[in-house]
Amino acid sequence: MTALATGITHTEEVMGTVISFTAAPGGLPAAAVRAAIAAACQGLHRADEVFSTWIAGSPVSRLRRGEVTVAELPPEVAAEVAEVLDLCQRAKAASRGWFDPWAMPGGLDPTGLVKGWAVERAANSLRRAGVAAALVNGGGDLTAFGSPAPEKPGQAGQPGLPGQPGLPWRVGIRHPWRADALACVVNVRAAIATSASYERGAHLIDPATGLPVTAAASASVTGPSLAIADALATALAVGGDDALAAIGETDGYEGYLIRADGSEVDTGGMEFTN
Amino acid sequence: MTVKRTSWFIVTGAIAGFAGTVAFHLGAAAPATGASGAPGGSGSPSARGSAAAGAGASGSPSAGGGAVHRATGPDVNFSYGTIAVRVTVRGSRIVDVSVAAIHVTEPESGRISGQAIPVLRSEVLDAQSASIHSVSGATYTSRGYISSLNAALNDLRTKAAGG
Repeated sequence: MTALATGITHTEEVMGTVISFTAAPGGLPAAAVRAAIAAACQGLHRADEVFSTWIAGSPVSRLRRGEVTVAELPPEVAAEVAEVLDLCQRAKAASRGWFDPWAMPGGLDPTGLVKGWAVERAANSLRRAGVAAALVNGGGDLTAFGSPAPEKPGQAGQPGLPGQPGLPWRVGIRHPWRADALACVVNVRAAIATSASYERGAHLIDPATGLPVTAAASASVTGPSLAIADALATALAVGGDDALAAIGETDGYEGYLIRADGSEVDTGGMEFTN
Repeated sequence: MTVKRTSWFIVTGAIAGFAGTVAFHLGAAAPATGASGAPGGSGSPSARGSAAAGAGASGSPSAGGGAVHRATGPDVNFSYGTIAVRVTVRGSRIVDVSVAAIHVTEPESGRISGQAIPVLRSEVLDAQSASIHSVSGATYTSRGYISSLNAALNDLRTKAAGG
Protein backbone atom coordinates (compact mmCIF):
# COMPACT_ATOMS: atom_id res chain seq x y z
CA MET A 1 0.00 0.00 0.00
CA THR A 2 1.52 3.28 -1.00
CA ALA A 3 0.92 6.87 -0.18
CA LEU A 4 -0.81 7.23 -3.51
CA ALA A 5 -3.33 4.53 -2.75
CA THR A 6 -4.05 5.75 0.78
CA GLY A 7 -4.71 9.32 -0.30
CA ILE A 8 -7.64 10.95 -2.03
CA THR A 9 -6.94 11.28 -5.73
CA HIS A 10 -8.38 13.24 -8.60
CA THR A 11 -7.37 13.93 -12.18
CA GLU A 12 -8.44 16.91 -14.22
CA GLU A 13 -7.93 17.59 -17.93
CA VAL A 14 -7.01 21.24 -18.28
CA MET A 15 -4.34 23.45 -19.87
CA GLY A 16 -3.73 20.87 -22.58
CA THR A 17 -2.63 18.20 -20.12
CA VAL A 18 -3.76 16.07 -17.21
CA ILE A 19 -3.35 17.47 -13.70
CA SER A 20 -3.39 14.85 -10.95
CA PHE A 21 -4.01 15.46 -7.27
CA THR A 22 -3.08 13.12 -4.43
CA ALA A 23 -4.09 14.45 -1.03
CA ALA A 24 -3.70 13.04 2.47
CA PRO A 25 -6.57 14.56 4.42
CA GLY A 26 -5.06 14.37 7.91
CA GLY A 27 -7.92 15.35 10.21
CA LEU A 28 -10.04 16.83 7.41
CA PRO A 29 -13.22 15.01 6.30
CA ALA A 30 -12.88 13.43 2.86
CA ALA A 31 -15.73 15.59 1.56
CA ALA A 32 -13.85 18.74 2.57
CA VAL A 33 -10.74 17.52 0.76
CA ARG A 34 -12.77 16.79 -2.37
CA ALA A 35 -14.35 20.25 -2.17
CA ALA A 36 -10.89 21.82 -1.86
CA ILE A 37 -9.69 19.87 -4.90
CA ALA A 38 -12.78 20.95 -6.87
CA ALA A 39 -12.10 24.60 -5.99
CA ALA A 40 -8.46 24.19 -7.00
CA CYS A 41 -9.59 22.78 -10.37
CA GLN A 42 -11.83 25.79 -10.93
CA GLY A 43 -8.74 27.93 -10.42
CA LEU A 44 -6.86 25.89 -13.02
CA HIS A 45 -9.61 26.32 -15.61
CA ARG A 46 -9.78 30.03 -14.89
CA ALA A 47 -6.01 30.35 -15.30
CA ASP A 48 -6.32 28.58 -18.65
CA GLU A 49 -9.02 31.02 -19.77
CA VAL A 50 -6.86 34.01 -18.80
CA PHE A 51 -3.46 32.84 -20.02
CA SER A 52 -4.13 30.56 -22.98
CA THR A 53 -2.42 31.66 -26.16
CA TRP A 54 -4.66 29.21 -28.06
CA ILE A 55 -7.90 30.94 -27.09
CA ALA A 56 -8.06 33.95 -29.40
CA GLY A 57 -10.17 36.02 -27.00
CA SER A 58 -8.18 35.28 -23.83
CA PRO A 59 -6.76 38.31 -22.00
CA VAL A 60 -3.20 37.20 -22.76
CA SER A 61 -4.01 36.72 -26.45
CA ARG A 62 -5.41 40.26 -26.50
CA LEU A 63 -2.24 41.51 -24.78
CA ARG A 64 -0.14 39.72 -27.39
CA ARG A 65 -1.98 41.48 -30.19
CA GLY A 66 -1.62 44.81 -28.42
CA GLU A 67 -5.38 45.27 -28.18
CA VAL A 68 -5.23 46.01 -24.46
CA THR A 69 -2.70 46.87 -21.79
CA VAL A 70 -2.52 45.11 -18.42
CA ALA A 71 -4.05 48.18 -16.79
CA GLU A 72 -7.09 47.99 -19.08
CA LEU A 73 -7.94 44.43 -18.05
CA PRO A 74 -10.58 43.77 -15.36
CA PRO A 75 -8.89 44.36 -11.98
CA GLU A 76 -8.90 40.72 -10.86
CA VAL A 77 -7.44 39.54 -14.17
CA ALA A 78 -4.94 42.40 -14.22
CA ALA A 79 -3.68 41.40 -10.77
CA GLU A 80 -3.11 37.81 -11.91
CA VAL A 81 -1.39 38.87 -15.12
CA ALA A 82 0.80 41.33 -13.24
CA GLU A 83 1.76 38.61 -10.75
CA VAL A 84 2.71 36.21 -13.54
CA LEU A 85 4.66 38.86 -15.46
CA ASP A 86 6.53 39.77 -12.27
CA LEU A 87 7.50 36.11 -11.84
CA CYS A 88 8.51 36.01 -15.51
CA GLN A 89 10.80 38.96 -14.89
CA ARG A 90 12.40 37.14 -11.94
CA ALA A 91 12.83 33.95 -13.97
CA LYS A 92 14.31 35.90 -16.89
CA ALA A 93 16.91 37.46 -14.60
CA ALA A 94 17.68 34.17 -12.81
CA SER A 95 18.22 32.41 -16.14
CA ARG A 96 20.42 35.13 -17.70
CA GLY A 97 17.70 35.68 -20.27
CA TRP A 98 17.39 32.07 -21.42
CA PHE A 99 13.78 32.30 -20.33
CA ASP A 100 12.29 35.40 -21.94
CA PRO A 101 8.53 35.59 -22.59
CA TRP A 102 9.02 38.99 -24.22
CA ALA A 103 11.30 37.58 -26.95
CA MET A 104 8.96 34.90 -28.29
CA PRO A 105 7.74 34.86 -31.89
CA GLY A 106 4.21 36.24 -32.02
CA GLY A 107 4.62 38.43 -28.97
CA LEU A 108 4.45 38.08 -25.19
CA ASP A 109 4.26 34.39 -24.25
CA PRO A 110 4.43 33.49 -20.54
CA THR A 111 3.36 29.88 -21.27
CA GLY A 112 6.66 28.47 -19.96
CA LEU A 113 5.80 29.69 -16.47
CA VAL A 114 2.01 29.73 -16.38
CA LYS A 115 1.33 26.03 -15.90
CA GLY A 116 3.79 25.86 -13.01
CA TRP A 117 2.24 28.96 -11.50
CA ALA A 118 -1.29 27.59 -11.81
CA VAL A 119 -0.35 24.20 -10.34
CA GLU A 120 1.49 25.89 -7.49
CA ARG A 121 -1.58 28.03 -6.80
CA ALA A 122 -3.77 24.91 -6.80
CA ALA A 123 -1.50 23.23 -4.25
CA ASN A 124 -1.47 26.37 -2.09
CA SER A 125 -5.25 26.44 -2.07
CA LEU A 126 -5.33 22.86 -0.74
CA ARG A 127 -2.89 23.81 1.98
CA ARG A 128 -4.99 26.82 2.98
CA ALA A 129 -8.07 24.58 3.12
CA GLY A 130 -6.34 22.50 5.80
CA VAL A 131 -5.23 19.51 3.73
CA ALA A 132 -2.33 17.87 5.62
CA ALA A 133 -0.23 16.81 2.67
CA ALA A 134 -0.66 16.75 -1.08
CA LEU A 135 1.11 16.29 -4.36
CA VAL A 136 -0.14 18.01 -7.50
CA ASN A 137 1.38 16.87 -10.81
CA GLY A 138 0.67 19.05 -13.83
CA GLY A 139 1.66 16.88 -16.79
CA GLY A 140 5.07 16.14 -15.34
CA ASP A 141 5.67 19.39 -13.44
CA LEU A 142 4.78 18.90 -9.82
CA THR A 143 4.70 20.43 -6.37
CA ALA A 144 4.01 18.92 -2.98
CA PHE A 145 3.65 19.96 0.64
CA GLY A 146 3.54 18.10 3.94
CA SER A 147 5.14 14.69 4.08
CA PRO A 148 4.34 11.63 2.02
CA ALA A 149 2.69 8.76 3.87
CA PRO A 150 4.98 6.27 5.55
CA GLU A 151 5.05 2.89 3.84
CA LYS A 152 2.57 1.36 6.27
CA PRO A 153 -1.05 0.50 5.65
CA GLY A 154 -3.67 2.73 7.12
CA GLN A 155 -1.49 5.76 7.66
CA ALA A 156 -2.00 8.90 5.67
CA GLY A 157 0.54 11.63 5.08
CA GLN A 158 1.43 14.07 7.77
CA PRO A 159 2.09 17.77 7.84
CA GLY A 160 5.68 18.84 8.35
CA LEU A 161 6.57 19.75 11.91
CA PRO A 162 6.45 23.48 12.61
CA GLY A 163 9.73 25.08 11.65
CA GLN A 164 10.96 21.91 9.99
CA PRO A 165 10.68 20.77 6.43
CA GLY A 166 8.57 17.68 5.81
CA LEU A 167 9.99 14.39 4.64
CA PRO A 168 10.95 14.50 0.98
CA TRP A 169 8.81 13.12 -1.84
CA ARG A 170 10.58 10.65 -4.11
CA VAL A 171 10.12 11.70 -7.71
CA GLY A 172 11.37 9.86 -10.76
CA ILE A 173 12.65 11.88 -13.70
CA ARG A 174 11.54 10.37 -16.96
CA HIS A 175 14.35 9.01 -19.09
CA PRO A 176 14.59 11.11 -22.25
CA TRP A 177 14.98 8.22 -24.69
CA ARG A 178 13.73 5.16 -22.88
CA ALA A 179 10.11 5.70 -22.10
CA ASP A 180 10.14 2.58 -19.92
CA ALA A 181 12.83 3.81 -17.57
CA LEU A 182 13.64 6.68 -15.29
CA ALA A 183 16.84 8.67 -15.64
CA CYS A 184 17.03 8.98 -11.87
CA VAL A 185 15.02 9.48 -8.69
CA VAL A 186 15.34 12.67 -6.66
CA ASN A 187 14.06 13.78 -3.28
CA VAL A 188 11.79 16.75 -3.73
CA ARG A 189 10.76 19.03 -0.87
CA ALA A 190 8.61 21.46 -2.84
CA ALA A 191 8.66 21.58 -6.63
CA ILE A 192 10.26 19.97 -9.66
CA ALA A 193 9.74 20.71 -13.35
CA THR A 194 11.16 18.82 -16.30
CA SER A 195 11.36 20.21 -19.80
CA ALA A 196 12.24 18.15 -22.82
CA SER A 197 11.38 17.74 -26.47
CA TYR A 198 10.80 13.97 -26.52
CA GLU A 199 7.03 14.01 -26.78
CA ARG A 200 5.88 17.29 -28.23
CA GLY A 201 8.66 17.83 -30.73
CA ALA A 202 10.75 20.97 -30.88
CA HIS A 203 8.53 23.36 -28.95
CA LEU A 204 11.34 25.24 -27.24
CA ILE A 205 12.36 28.60 -28.65
CA ASP A 206 15.74 30.27 -28.25
CA PRO A 207 14.99 33.87 -27.15
CA ALA A 208 18.15 35.08 -28.87
CA THR A 209 17.22 33.79 -32.32
CA GLY A 210 13.48 33.10 -32.16
CA LEU A 211 14.17 29.64 -33.59
CA PRO A 212 13.37 26.20 -32.17
CA VAL A 213 16.30 24.54 -30.42
CA THR A 214 17.14 21.28 -28.71
CA ALA A 215 20.18 21.93 -26.57
CA ALA A 216 19.12 19.35 -24.01
CA ALA A 217 17.55 15.93 -24.00
CA SER A 218 16.03 16.64 -20.61
CA ALA A 219 16.22 19.54 -18.19
CA SER A 220 14.95 19.42 -14.62
CA VAL A 221 14.85 22.11 -11.94
CA THR A 222 13.90 21.78 -8.27
CA GLY A 223 13.11 24.65 -5.93
CA PRO A 224 10.60 26.28 -3.63
CA SER A 225 8.33 27.70 -6.37
CA LEU A 226 6.96 25.58 -9.21
CA ALA A 227 6.28 28.71 -11.27
CA ILE A 228 9.98 29.63 -11.19
CA ALA A 229 11.14 25.99 -11.51
CA ASP A 230 8.94 25.55 -14.60
CA ALA A 231 10.41 28.62 -16.27
CA LEU A 232 13.97 27.70 -15.29
CA ALA A 233 13.51 24.16 -16.67
CA THR A 234 12.44 25.72 -19.97
CA ALA A 235 15.51 27.96 -19.83
CA LEU A 236 17.76 25.00 -19.04
CA ALA A 237 16.43 23.00 -21.97
CA VAL A 238 17.22 25.89 -24.31
CA GLY A 239 20.35 27.34 -22.71
CA GLY A 240 22.09 24.14 -21.65
CA ASP A 241 25.27 24.61 -19.63
CA ASP A 242 25.10 28.41 -19.51
CA ALA A 243 21.57 28.28 -18.10
CA LEU A 244 22.69 25.58 -15.63
CA ALA A 245 25.40 27.90 -14.34
CA ALA A 246 22.79 30.62 -13.84
CA ILE A 247 20.49 28.26 -11.95
CA GLY A 248 23.41 27.21 -9.74
CA GLU A 249 23.73 30.84 -8.64
CA THR A 250 20.02 31.12 -7.80
CA ASP A 251 19.23 30.56 -4.11
CA GLY A 252 17.06 27.53 -3.45
CA TYR A 253 17.09 26.17 -7.01
CA GLU A 254 19.01 23.22 -8.43
CA GLY A 255 19.29 22.00 -12.00
CA TYR A 256 19.94 18.65 -13.68
CA LEU A 257 20.71 18.52 -17.37
CA ILE A 258 20.92 15.56 -19.74
CA ARG A 259 22.66 17.00 -22.78
CA ALA A 260 21.72 16.08 -26.33
CA ASP A 261 24.69 13.69 -26.44
CA GLY A 262 23.47 11.87 -23.33
CA SER A 263 26.06 13.26 -20.93
CA GLU A 264 24.78 14.60 -17.63
CA VAL A 265 25.59 17.50 -15.37
CA ASP A 266 23.94 19.06 -12.34
CA THR A 267 24.35 22.02 -10.03
CA GLY A 268 25.53 19.86 -7.13
CA GLY A 269 22.69 20.37 -4.68
CA MET A 270 20.01 18.15 -6.14
CA GLU A 271 19.18 15.20 -3.87
CA PHE A 272 19.60 12.13 -6.06
CA THR A 273 18.52 8.93 -4.32
CA ASN A 274 20.20 6.46 -6.62
CA MET B 1 31.46 3.81 -2.67
CA THR B 2 28.77 1.34 -3.56
CA VAL B 3 25.42 2.71 -4.37
CA LYS B 4 22.33 0.56 -4.46
CA ARG B 5 20.88 1.00 -7.85
CA THR B 6 17.36 0.18 -8.82
CA SER B 7 15.63 0.37 -12.13
CA TRP B 8 12.24 2.00 -11.93
CA PHE B 9 9.16 1.94 -13.97
CA ILE B 10 7.57 5.21 -14.80
CA VAL B 11 4.54 6.09 -12.76
CA THR B 12 2.95 9.27 -13.93
CA GLY B 13 1.01 11.13 -11.35
CA ALA B 14 -2.06 11.01 -13.51
CA ILE B 15 -2.07 7.27 -13.95
CA ALA B 16 -1.05 6.65 -10.38
CA GLY B 17 -4.04 8.75 -9.51
CA PHE B 18 -6.27 6.46 -11.48
CA ALA B 19 -4.86 3.36 -9.83
CA GLY B 20 -5.47 4.97 -6.46
CA THR B 21 -8.95 5.90 -7.57
CA VAL B 22 -9.80 2.39 -8.61
CA ALA B 23 -8.64 1.02 -5.28
CA PHE B 24 -10.73 3.67 -3.57
CA HIS B 25 -13.89 3.16 -5.58
CA LEU B 26 -13.89 -0.56 -5.67
CA GLY B 27 -13.77 -0.60 -1.92
CA ALA B 28 -11.98 -3.49 -0.23
CA ALA B 29 -8.53 -2.99 1.19
CA ALA B 30 -5.84 -3.54 -1.39
CA PRO B 31 -3.87 -6.74 -0.93
CA ALA B 32 -0.27 -6.59 0.18
CA THR B 33 2.04 -5.81 -2.67
CA GLY B 34 4.46 -8.66 -3.07
CA ALA B 35 5.38 -8.24 -6.68
CA SER B 36 6.66 -4.73 -7.10
CA GLY B 37 8.32 -4.08 -10.40
CA ALA B 38 11.64 -2.88 -9.12
CA PRO B 39 14.37 -5.29 -10.09
CA GLY B 40 17.68 -4.37 -8.55
CA GLY B 41 21.06 -3.89 -10.07
CA SER B 42 24.21 -1.96 -9.34
CA GLY B 43 25.92 1.03 -10.78
CA SER B 44 27.46 4.34 -9.90
CA PRO B 45 25.90 7.76 -9.53
CA SER B 46 27.76 8.95 -12.61
CA ALA B 47 25.75 6.50 -14.70
CA ARG B 48 22.45 8.09 -13.83
CA GLY B 49 21.33 8.48 -17.40
CA SER B 50 21.62 4.82 -18.19
CA ALA B 51 18.91 3.47 -15.92
CA ALA B 52 17.55 0.53 -17.83
CA ALA B 53 14.08 -0.85 -17.88
CA GLY B 54 13.42 -3.74 -15.60
CA ALA B 55 11.43 -6.70 -16.75
CA GLY B 56 8.33 -8.19 -15.28
CA ALA B 57 5.48 -5.91 -14.32
CA SER B 58 3.77 -6.52 -11.02
CA GLY B 59 0.26 -7.72 -10.62
CA SER B 60 0.18 -11.15 -12.16
CA PRO B 61 -3.34 -12.34 -12.93
CA SER B 62 -3.06 -14.96 -10.18
CA ALA B 63 -2.40 -12.37 -7.49
CA GLY B 64 -5.12 -11.53 -5.01
CA GLY B 65 -8.63 -12.85 -4.66
CA GLY B 66 -12.04 -11.69 -5.77
CA ALA B 67 -14.03 -11.82 -8.96
CA VAL B 68 -12.41 -10.91 -12.25
CA HIS B 69 -14.04 -8.15 -14.28
CA ARG B 70 -13.03 -6.80 -17.64
CA ALA B 71 -14.06 -3.72 -19.57
CA THR B 72 -12.93 -2.02 -22.74
CA GLY B 73 -12.99 1.75 -23.04
CA PRO B 74 -14.10 3.59 -26.16
CA ASP B 75 -11.76 4.82 -28.91
CA VAL B 76 -10.34 8.05 -27.64
CA ASN B 77 -8.33 10.54 -29.66
CA PHE B 78 -4.76 11.12 -28.70
CA SER B 79 -2.12 13.20 -30.35
CA TYR B 80 -1.28 10.66 -33.05
CA GLY B 81 -4.54 8.78 -33.61
CA THR B 82 -7.06 6.88 -31.51
CA ILE B 83 -6.68 4.33 -28.76
CA ALA B 84 -9.00 2.02 -26.82
CA VAL B 85 -7.86 0.49 -23.56
CA ARG B 86 -8.99 -2.79 -21.99
CA VAL B 87 -8.70 -3.22 -18.24
CA THR B 88 -8.97 -6.32 -16.07
CA VAL B 89 -9.74 -5.99 -12.39
CA ARG B 90 -9.70 -8.72 -9.76
CA GLY B 91 -11.36 -7.65 -6.56
CA SER B 92 -10.07 -4.13 -5.94
CA ARG B 93 -6.91 -4.54 -7.97
CA ILE B 94 -6.06 -3.88 -11.60
CA VAL B 95 -4.35 -7.05 -12.79
CA ASP B 96 -3.97 -6.22 -16.46
CA VAL B 97 -4.26 -3.35 -18.88
CA SER B 98 -3.99 -3.85 -22.60
CA VAL B 99 -4.60 -1.94 -25.78
CA ALA B 100 -7.80 -3.19 -27.42
CA ALA B 101 -7.36 -1.06 -30.51
CA ILE B 102 -5.00 1.61 -31.70
CA HIS B 103 -5.05 3.57 -34.93
CA VAL B 104 -2.09 5.76 -35.63
CA THR B 105 -2.67 8.42 -38.24
CA GLU B 106 0.86 9.77 -38.41
CA PRO B 107 3.28 7.06 -39.60
CA GLU B 108 6.27 8.52 -37.81
CA SER B 109 4.46 8.32 -34.50
CA GLY B 110 4.32 4.52 -34.59
CA ARG B 111 7.62 4.45 -32.80
CA ILE B 112 6.29 6.74 -30.08
CA SER B 113 3.18 4.65 -29.55
CA GLY B 114 5.04 1.37 -29.60
CA GLN B 115 7.36 2.73 -26.98
CA ALA B 116 4.87 4.48 -24.78
CA ILE B 117 2.07 1.98 -24.54
CA PRO B 118 3.91 -0.89 -22.84
CA VAL B 119 5.17 1.72 -20.42
CA LEU B 120 1.70 2.97 -19.66
CA ARG B 121 0.67 -0.59 -18.87
CA SER B 122 3.57 -0.81 -16.45
CA GLU B 123 2.56 2.52 -14.98
CA VAL B 124 -0.95 1.42 -14.23
CA LEU B 125 0.13 -1.89 -12.73
CA ASP B 126 3.03 -0.51 -10.77
CA ALA B 127 1.21 2.53 -9.50
CA GLN B 128 -0.25 0.14 -6.99
CA SER B 129 3.11 -0.86 -5.59
CA ALA B 130 5.79 1.53 -6.74
CA SER B 131 7.95 3.14 -4.15
CA ILE B 132 8.12 6.50 -5.81
CA HIS B 133 5.45 9.13 -5.38
CA SER B 134 5.35 10.65 -8.83
CA VAL B 135 7.27 11.31 -12.01
CA SER B 136 8.55 14.54 -13.51
CA GLY B 137 8.49 14.78 -17.29
CA ALA B 138 5.28 14.28 -19.19
CA THR B 139 4.19 11.39 -21.38
CA TYR B 140 2.05 12.99 -24.02
CA THR B 141 0.36 9.83 -25.23
CA SER B 142 -0.98 9.21 -21.77
CA ARG B 143 -3.86 11.63 -22.15
CA GLY B 144 -5.88 9.51 -24.58
CA TYR B 145 -4.85 6.37 -22.75
CA ILE B 146 -6.09 7.81 -19.47
CA SER B 147 -9.40 8.88 -21.00
CA SER B 148 -10.11 5.42 -22.39
CA LEU B 149 -8.91 3.70 -19.22
CA ASN B 150 -11.12 5.92 -17.10
CA ALA B 151 -14.13 5.11 -19.24
CA ALA B 152 -13.39 1.38 -18.94
CA LEU B 153 -13.07 1.68 -15.18
CA ASN B 154 -16.29 3.64 -14.93
CA ASP B 155 -17.98 0.89 -16.89
CA LEU B 156 -16.70 -1.68 -14.39
CA ARG B 157 -17.92 0.42 -11.48
CA THR B 158 -21.35 0.74 -13.05
CA LYS B 159 -21.57 -3.01 -13.52
CA ALA B 160 -20.37 -3.56 -9.94
CA ALA B 161 -23.01 -1.15 -8.61
CA GLY B 162 -25.72 -2.76 -10.70
CA GLY B 163 -25.03 -6.15 -9.21
